[in-house]
Amino acid sequence: MKKTILSVALVMATGLLFAQKKTTTSATVAFDATTAIDALPKAENKTVIASLDTKTGTIAFEAAVKSFAFSNPKIQEHFNSKGWMDSDQFSTATFKGSIVNLKDVKFNKDGTYAVTVTGDLTIHGETKPVESKGTITVSGKTIKATSDFTIKLEDYKVSGNAVAAGKVAKEPKITVVAEF
Amino acid sequence: MLTTKINKRYKKWLLALLVLMLAGGGVVWYLFTLKYDDTASVKAHYTVNAMDFIKEFKQNMTSANKKYSEKIIVVNGTVSAIEMADTTANIKMVDTTNGAYIIFAFQQQHLQEAKAMKEGEAVSIKGSCSNGAFSNILEAEYITFKRCAANK
Repeated sequence: MKKTILSVALVMATGLLFAQKKTTTSATVAFDATTAIDALPKAENKTVIASLDTKTGTIAFEAAVKSFAFSNPKIQEHFNSKGWMDSDQFSTATFKGSIVNLKDVKFNKDGTYAVTVTGDLTIHGETKPVESKGTITVSGKTIKATSDFTIKLEDYKVSGNAVAAGKVAKEPKITVVAEF
Repeated sequence: MLTTKINKRYKKWLLALLVLMLAGGGVVWYLFTLKYDDTASVKAHYTVNAMDFIKEFKQNMTSANKKYSEKIIVVNGTVSAIEMADTTANIKMVDTTNGAYIIFAFQQQHLQEAKAMKEGEAVSIKGSCSNGAFSNILEAEYITFKRCAANK
């Protein structure tokens, strides 16, 4: 009897532990590198994988580079080419980090919470530490995490004539939305 | 007389150059104002069964990516999940034996088709295969598609 109770308790505890880590395969990452002379370099990836551990505040993203969808086939081709993102070699952009002010977020209470997230962003084979502000919105069983920030293309060794010519922003804006 | 001849030849070359520049400019303008066609009207390179497709990527990710990446593929399979958020409607087909999956992001004009699909329904979806990769977060292979539409 005692063994049964212990086993049931262990199973329940394990279940609770796994419930802390939430994942989604439909997070969205958009980047906007448009400039005054070119409105084309912007794209959205709607199949980003994301995870959030509500106990530790650990957060992670994986975005397939070829899943960034442009409206123009030529720009799509350039973006993935060796001279730009070289997506055949560097197929995934990743982020691994954590919520700095986790104690300010009440995951079991509906509300909107301002957060600061720090971590390592890897693009084009280059990893840089980043920090960004974001928002976590808790509504019933849904947790929505959003953030806007900019990156410097040169930090990730992404460059080219288009940047020099002012057709692609040197610091594109990145927008992240993940619903768990 | 000689001056007249030179002027005429010069004008001819100038005109030819102008025509070339206009033609070149036209091509560049065309390429950079081009938009993707509606996937529903585009011919597919391949038609596959979802589970066989996943198996192919699991067996050799590099060769499968080389074969299918940026190609239009029709995938026949069963809807495992419909994931909707804001302006997104993604359909997933999952190999439940190992968690590997295919995920389809629909074109704006076809979002309603995705929303109308049901879990467990046998469907046919056409889209551009982005690529396959292994997710360290999920510890499973995944294959992403963009610009998708229901295949009719």
